[in-house]
This record gives sequence, C-alpha cells and structure tokens, in this order.
Amino acid sequence: MTEAKSKRYVNIIDTTLRNGEQTAGVVFSKHEKIRIANMLDEIGIPEVEVGTPSLGAIEREIIKKIADEKLNCKIFAYCEAEPEDIEYAVQCGVKNVVINISASDIHIKEKYKKNRTWVINKLREAIRTAKQNNLNFIVSAEDATRADLEFLLKLISIARKKGAYRFRICDTVSKFDPFRTFLYINTISNAMNFPLEVYNHNDFGMATANGIAAIRGGAYSLVASVGGLGEGTGNAAMEEIIMALKYLENIELGIKTSKFREIAEYVARSSARAIPVWKAIVGTNVFAHESGIHADGVIKNPKNYEVFKPSEVGLTRQLVVGKHSGSHTILHKFKEFDIELTDKQANDILGLARSMSIDLKRPLFDKELMYIYNEYAKKKKKQE
Amino acid sequence: MREIDILTEFSQKAGTEIDHKNIKIDDTTLRDGEQTAGVVFANDEKVSIAKMLDKVGVHQIEAGIPTMGGDEKEAIKRIAALGLNCSVLGWNRAVKSDIDASIECGVDAVAISLSSSDIHIEHKLMKSREWVLESVKTSVDYAKGFNLYVSVNAEDASRSDMEFLLQFARTARDAGADRLRYCDTLGILDPFETFIRVKNIIDIIGIDIEMHTHNDFGMAIANAIAGIKAGATYVNTTINGLGERAGNAAFEELIMALKYIEGVDLGFNTTLFRSISEYVAKASNRIIPSWKPIVGGKLFVYESESRFSGVLSDTKTYGLFNERDVGLDKKVILGKYSGVNTIIYKLNTLGFKISENEAEELAEIIRDKTVSLKRALFDSEIIDTYKSYKSRSTRSKSGKKGAKSDRSKK
Repeated sequence: MTEAKSKRYVNIIDTTLRNGEQTAGVVFSKHEKIRIANMLDEIGIPEVEVGTPSLGAIEREIIKKIADEKLNCKIFAYCEAEPEDIEYAVQCGVKNVVINISASDIHIKEKYKKNRTWVINKLREAIRTAKQNNLNFIVSAEDATRADLEFLLKLISIARKKGAYRFRICDTVSKFDPFRTFLYINTISNAMNFPLEVYNHNDFGMATANGIAAIRGGAYSLVASVGGLGEGTGNAAMEEIIMALKYLENIELGIKTSKFREIAEYVARSSARAIPVWKAIVGTNVFAHESGIHADGVIKNPKNYEVFKPSEVGLTRQLVVGKHSGSHTILHKFKEFDIELTDKQANDILGLARSMSIDLKRPLFDKELMYIYNEYAKKKKKQE
Repeated sequence: MREIDILTEFSQKAGTEIDHKNIKIDDTTLRDGEQTAGVVFANDEKVSIAKMLDKVGVHQIEAGIPTMGGDEKEAIKRIAALGLNCSVLGWNRAVKSDIDASIECGVDAVAISLSSSDIHIEHKLMKSREWVLESVKTSVDYAKGFNLYVSVNAEDASRSDMEFLLQFARTARDAGADRLRYCDTLGILDPFETFIRVKNIIDIIGIDIEMHTHNDFGMAIANAIAGIKAGATYVNTTINGLGERAGNAAFEELIMALKYIEGVDLGFNTTLFRSISEYVAKASNRIIPSWKPIVGGKLFVYESESRFSGVLSDTKTYGLFNERDVGLDKKVILGKYSGVNTIIYKLNTLGFKISENEAEELAEIIRDKTVSLKRALFDSEIIDTYKSYKSRSTRSKSGKKGAKSDRSKK
C-alpha cells in the first residue's frame, strides 16, 4: 500500500437502474430512477445504464426524462439485439445503447431455440439500426463465459469492425473464479486488442473479486450496481469495486466515496431491500466493534482494525458493549459519558454487562449500561 | 518479467487440479461468528449449531473462547462432550491460562492466536517481534505437552512483513504446531496476492495452512479459494459468512464454489444448507438477505422474461446448480419485467390456460399495475387482473384489439 497510485484508468458503468431493477420483485418509481441517476452522476460515475426502452411507454418516458437531465455521465439504454428495441431507444432520446445477445450454445439452443448464424445475423441487424440512427453502442455477449471461444471472438470482431465502444463479456452464471477470469480476459484481450468490459454475477460470492481479476487481465471497464442489486444473487457491488480498486489495486478513480452510504440507503429503500448490517463497505456493522480484542485494538489505534476511515464511505464508528467486550471498552465507553472509572470498577461493570448481554441475547444500549452503573454505584455506597 | 506475465504464470499454475482429499473445513460460526458485534448465541443454540455442523460434514468446529469462562466455557464443555465425528477446537491467546481453560473444556484441538503484523505488535500488543516469537514457542510447547492438535493463528498475517511471517511460521512449526492459520484479518488481499503469499509460506516453511479470510472488500470466498489453489488445506468458514464487520468466508458459498467452479466435491450434504442458514440467521438475529448467494430465499424466484424463458426449458440456463441442491424452491412471480412466457406459465400454475395473444395484452396491464404498486403482484392480484381482463374482453369481443405489447415476440 506504499506504492505510488497507479495511473491506470478503469471505466465504471452502473446498472442499478437496469439489471438492478430487473431483479425479481424490484420496481423503481419514475422519481426514484431520476434521483438515482442524479446521485450516481454527482459522485462521478462515468456511465449509467438507465433502463430497457422496449418495456413500454412508462419506462421510455423515464429514460427520456433522465436523458434530458443533462448529466455529466454517459447515459445508456439497454436493448436486446432487435431492430425494434433499438428504435424504442431512439424514441427516448439517448445517444448510447447496449446491444445484448446471448453467445453460449446453451442459451442459443434453450432460450432462443436458434443457431449461431441466427445470432450473428441478429447482431448485424441491430447494429445496422443503431448506426442508421446515429447511436453509439456497446455489444454485450450474455453467458459469454460458457460460449465457444472462437464464436465469441467472431462476435467481438464484428463489434470492432462496426465501431462499437467496446465489447461486454457477461459471466451470467458465475462460472469463473478470479484466476480463470484473469486468463480468459487476458487471452481475449491479447487476441483482439479491443476494449473489453466485464459483467459479473455473485452466485458464489466472487463478483467483486472477478471484476478485479478482469481488470488485472486487461479489461477496461466493469459493470456494477449499488449494493450489488441485480437478478438472482446480484452483480458486483459498485461501492466494493471502487474501494477494492482504490485500496487493493492502487487505482484511484476520484469517485466521491463519502456518499456511498447515502446512495446505498436510497437504493435500499427504493428497492425495498434493507442493507444487511454486515454489507461490505456500507453496512452499519462494518465499523462496529464489540469483542475485547478488536475494540481494544481500535481504541488504541483505529489502524489496528480499519483500513480506511468510516467517514470515507459516510459511516461512523461504534463501540458496542456485549458478551465479548473487554474492560478497555467499558473504560472508553464511560469516558464518552464523562465518567472516569477505575480499573476495578470497569472490571466489575464488565462482568455485570456480560451477563446481562447473555441474558438478553444482544448487546446493551447505552441506557442499559448507565442503569448497570447506577445500581453498581448505589450498592457500593451502601457497602461503605 | 512484466506483471502481466507473472500473473499469467500464477493463474495457469492456479488452474491446476486441487487435491481434494486433503481439504478440510474448520467452521468458526460459534467463535468468530458469535464475536460479531451484536450477536450472542444461547448455549442451547450453540449445541444445536454444533450438531448441525457435524451432521452436514464439517471436519472441525471452533466452539468458542474457553478463557471467557462462565456460560461460554459451559457451552464448549457441552459441545466437546457430545461425541461428534468432527474435532472440537478452543480459541486461545498465546497465554498458558487460556490453554488451561481449553483443556478444562475437554477439546481435542486449540488455536493459539497472536498478531504477526508490526502494526498490531506495536499498537495493540505494545510488544516486540521477539516477544511474539517467544510467546508462540512457549505456548505451542505447553499445548503440545497435553497432546492437543495445535493451530497457530497469525493474526493480521496479510499486513505482516513477509520475512517476519516466515520466521513466525518457522517458530510455530519447530515448536510442533500442526498448522498455521493465515488470517487476512482486515480482508485487504485480492486473490492474486493471496495466492502468491500463501504459496511462498508453503514452499519455504512446509507447514499446513488454514485460510481465514474476511469480506471487507467482497473477497472472502475468492481469497479462500486462492489459498486452496496455493496449497492451503484448511478453510475457516462461518454459516452465512457471520463474523466481525463484513464477515468471514461463508461456509455454503465456499462448498458450492469448490464443487461447481473448481470441480472439488467434498461430499457435504448440501440439501441441508438452507435449513442450517435459517437456524443461524434466527439465532444471530440476522435475517438471510433474499439475494444471499447459495441460500437466499429469492434465488430461484423468477420474474423477468429473459431469465424465465431460459429457465423454463433448463434451470442450468441461468445457474450452475438447481434449487433442490441447496434446499430451496423455484417460484415464478409477475412484475415489470415479465413477458408472454412468464405470464402463460404463471397463470397455468394458478389454474388458467391462456393464449399467447391474451398473454401479450395482459403483459401490458400487469406492467402498469406493478409500476404503480412498486412491487410484483400477489397471486390473488394476478387472478383478479386476469378475471377482469377476461370479462372486459368477452364484453368487447367485437371491439378493437388491445395494444400490442412491445415485448410480444420474446
């Protein structure tokens, strides 16, 4: 972590408003979609995928609204490789589209019930429509990690020849671990010399790691969503990707991370999915310390158990008193209440607090700590 | 050598087969899991969880911290006396009195934990490197005197100076420790760094390595797997990834990733995963997010046309395993992203056979409804929607056909 910051740039395209909303049971309102687009823009996310125009008049109206907001970020609409879908995007007034088509034989056979030639023709047709309408585009290959490599390279060369921004490789079923992701992306990158974008799912908890592996393998861009919201287990979480790039890979993108908690909360409310308290980067428990070992370490120096400051992601540090607390936490906690305890008092109170916490099956509120202290002080007085 | 070439070489090496006969799971739900701020298990719950872990097939249970005394010690005693197939381990600081407490509990294994990073040695322990090495030596000596299986935990190993960490590992090995736990205490490694560092220790010191990874940057599972690829033989997991801050490597994710991504089947009874996860979720008062990998309640709930169309003919179209493998159910709901196939299937399960034309028209009605309700429809709402659509369309049979759905063809 002492090395100089890498000069390397990584593009982030956020899909909270598209694949995030596509999650079973999640629907954003118009107002929420516009707000989320604005928030992503404010913190400096360079590209945002805002919706699927073919979904109907309401969705198109929302996309048009967002396109009219004059945001700094690039706005993308998501289309299947159908001329009709592209035309709907044109109606929304967007300048950029993602053109998606499945690349694996299992999808071609089971989902489309077609063959590879059909896929190539569909893609060409959709690209033609996009170009006729002066749209810029990304070509996205769904289930690319299960595709035949030769066929995938063929699709990439079509995208390159037709002037796509870049080519998106979707690990739709989370087939790869980071090592395979690295090799796959590196191989393709070497073979094609064309900007690659990687889209990960979290079926085995490796979405973020695979995203980072793709960057190491030479990818230029990653697809992410706030809180990892997305179909099934979701996508790579935007906040995890940004922080991992910064602290693990030394790639600083200049994103305003102090807004992460706020955005995560807004998306959580809008999608009716509470942020788990242990959610990496933005969970409230990430900076909560209870156990004697950890709390003691943090009191002595936060660096013992924290890599970055809580304020960097819009959180605050909490010391929790419970079963695993040590006497240092008690001393520290009461100092916050302006009460100086002796070591003996702290140890006595710790014993009382621990057994109360075991009985309640939870940590104690500050009030409860004060009750313990008051009773303890009263008893001591009587004894005197 | 350019970085990319080094990584390519490592990745190719890391792609080689894992010798799965040697991989063992040491589950720490009851220790690091409970150590999570806000989580307290009752003793009966601890015993139940230990039994479940044994039944599902874990090799070792880290049952708690004996030196805490009282209830904690009681629970560990009870677990050690259950006569489980798995080993039962107690967690200790590198202190004789801690180890004595473990012995009193009747465990067969101990973890002796000590920080190996300068930052911890200086700012937390307020000691020196020499003191650390001496403590490792004396405490391992002491525990080995009681014939216990000994794991030496290098806390904050990932921020340790590699030369010192090697010395630490050598000291542990020479004192007779059975393995070294490599703790990425703050979750700050990526899989490539993990692989390189763990391999280095194994190559030079030749001691069994256990991976203890944290999820602060979403890398816990990937790093555990990287460790295994580098030759680590133990992984310290927790159910649901329960653990301090962002948690540990989730047991269920690791087992399934090994099985479906790495081709290593440890023979665990995966169909019990959902029920164990539910039990731990309730006992820790932390509900399972519906999207949690492997065991989330909505993982096999489909709404969008694109996913459902694929899944209709084969679940494998959108996943590497199916719902029965982990004790979950498949379900279809209707919402903003549903289309013809989804609607026909769903209404069929509700007892209504409808045509493609009807489904096209219904798609639009349902989409408007879900957008205004801001959620997917309940079954009763779907039935109502269908019935009122039906009565309208019979009344205006000669009237104009409803607007064609945009997604009609898909």
